[in-house]
Amino acid sequence: MKIRNSILTFLAVAALGYFLWWASLNLDRYMLRIINLIAINAILGLSLNLIYGMAGMFSLGHAGFMAVGAYVSALLIITSDQKVKMWILEPIAPWLMNLHTSFVVSLILAGLAAAFVGWLISLPVLRLGGDYLGIATLGFSEIIRILIVNLTPITNGSLGLKGIPAHTDLWMSYGCLLVALFFMIRLMKSNFGNVLRAVRDDEIAARTMGIDTFRVRVLAFTLGCFGGGVGGALMGNLITTIDPKMFMITQTYSLLMIVVVGGLGSITGSILGSVLVTTMLEWLRFVENPINFGSIQIPGIPGMRMVIFSVLLIAIIIFRREGIMGTREFSWNWFFRKGGVGR
Amino acid sequence: MKKFFAALCLVVLACSASFAADTIKIGVVATVTGQNAFGGQLELEGMQLANSLYPEALGKKIELVVVDNKSDKVESATAATRLIENDKVNALIGPYGSGPTMAAGEVAEVAEVVLMGTACTNPLVTEGKKFIYRACFIDPFQGEAAANYSYNKLGYKKAAVLTDVASDYAVGLASFFKSNFTKLGGEIVSDLKYQSGDTDFTAQLTEIINKAPDVIFIPAYFAEGAIIMKQGYEMGNKARFMGGDAMDNPEVVTLGGSAVEGFMHTTFAYDPSMPEMNTEAKAFTEAWVKKYADKAPNANAAMGYDAYVLIYQAILRANSADPKAIRDELEKTTNVATVTGMTSFTTESHDPVKDAGVVEIKGGKKLYVDTIKP
Repeated sequence: MKIRNSILTFLAVAALGYFLWWASLNLDRYMLRIINLIAINAILGLSLNLIYGMAGMFSLGHAGFMAVGAYVSALLIITSDQKVKMWILEPIAPWLMNLHTSFVVSLILAGLAAAFVGWLISLPVLRLGGDYLGIATLGFSEIIRILIVNLTPITNGSLGLKGIPAHTDLWMSYGCLLVALFFMIRLMKSNFGNVLRAVRDDEIAARTMGIDTFRVRVLAFTLGCFGGGVGGALMGNLITTIDPKMFMITQTYSLLMIVVVGGLGSITGSILGSVLVTTMLEWLRFVENPINFGSIQIPGIPGMRMVIFSVLLIAIIIFRREGIMGTREFSWNWFFRKGGVGR
Repeated sequence: MKKFFAALCLVVLACSASFAADTIKIGVVATVTGQNAFGGQLELEGMQLANSLYPEALGKKIELVVVDNKSDKVESATAATRLIENDKVNALIGPYGSGPTMAAGEVAEVAEVVLMGTACTNPLVTEGKKFIYRACFIDPFQGEAAANYSYNKLGYKKAAVLTDVASDYAVGLASFFKSNFTKLGGEIVSDLKYQSGDTDFTAQLTEIINKAPDVIFIPAYFAEGAIIMKQGYEMGNKARFMGGDAMDNPEVVTLGGSAVEGFMHTTFAYDPSMPEMNTEAKAFTEAWVKKYADKAPNANAAMGYDAYVLIYQAILRANSADPKAIRDELEKTTNVATVTGMTSFTTESHDPVKDAGVVEIKGGKKLYVDTIKP
């Protein structure tokens, strides 16, 4: 059984690789961009799900950690002559001028920087629980954004950065997604995963069992922030320009939507949520165009797709409160049970 | 449910198949929802007006393909890609604001399709780009113009600045105003900050009023600007308020009432109260009044109109709607009459050098008082 599953997983990864190869040759840039966004949103969704879904910490600060990652990565890979042209309000900090690394290094450093900031914040904040935690993390994410706005010599303030080399291709984002998936699955299957679930479901019981719940929560929060930083860096490299306004609370909401629609605590759910949210918003654009029903013409109403999308979301929450997947996961065993073969 | 979706899909297919092939398409990354919708909507209406006045080029119909960007950067890039790949547009007109324009601009640059920015005044937008143009002037020019006008023309020697630090536009404009004002010999007596979304400015205003400046420069958006002026008025401020193009909105008077009396702002050189209009501005004003009787035309609408006209003229001169041909002709644009003055581009700079207008609010009405030559 185990061998069968490993072979199937290997085949699935190979199929994904083949699909990406086919896609990069045959699909237009619009489709490629959406496929790319799905991967980035999935990474961000997974990392938020680790914090909110798996460890039960209601965090509204993910946009802030994305911002840290995006800025660290961007500052490390923008060339120095590009930097000279950009800091028009105040001169750039001299030590930053010639700082340059390769993209992969910058990605790892982006994750580490976000994780470090997350760790610092988690020490005071994780002593809170429930809604208080949500408000505190929201506050810290705003602090990060305001720091970025005001640290003009380092971040170019509210003017933002542009000319970030477009390194995020399909291979890069799906490579990162696979790595993230691999670690998440291993993590949740390990004893740490069990401990995490125990802390989420009943903290007092977990503590009676001798678990250092605070340490476990800090660790999960820090790991989630690492993912947020990497996702932010990938996002910055995809659209090649970032500014503090990108990382407002609305960014966190859209990630929260992915996680809740997919199912809190489900890795499969976050992937499905990302696919659904990213493609639906684009696909629904047709409702904003003028529509001809024979002789009747309905003028396009801008913003209509958001209305329909919200209705869909409300429907999901009413009829499937736990999200598409709930806390369940996709597995080959489940797949064969449903298919009625290989029993 | 399944049947419903099947029916929905059929409708979609039927709609998408009905496009005629022989049209020139200009894609619009429009900002009609989200936080910047107030300006984006006016720009779009300006473009649609231009489209109704100049509906054809080279014997083909020109079609505006509008895609909304939710005032969001990521969506702007996706929207631009969609217009280029799906709708195969011949040229693009950019979203409202500099940040989204930079995001959409990168896509256009890679795909080698022209993107004409509307009111994106951040100097970084066109920097190092071959296919990115803009119809407006840039922040350094406007900051300099405002400083010059208040120092030389109005004779103000002491200025206070109140800046929204979260807005790239406000930070840029304030910084260029300050540097030019001090260079001329003026003094910045107070330099204070706030964040977009703030509603109480009394603390900053108290300090500013204590320093007794001649002029208070507020490079804000119109809603916050009007609140600032209202609170200043209630606190007995005597100094004149000045602002930038983002204050150019009919709502300023509605929001501020008598508090905005005497308020002056620089803007793109167009206002319906202009004494001398060029032919394009006249045509625009007449058509606007006919189409939208209930609201006055403003500079945002004029910028949308101008962006369309610049692309339209380039298509006519190139005698082709090929994206590269449009780009090459745009670069040769010299003294094309647009609503907001004469527009020229050069190989070195895709930022037009054009006049700035000065508008004052007198008797509850906007009045065009002066033109600042570059």
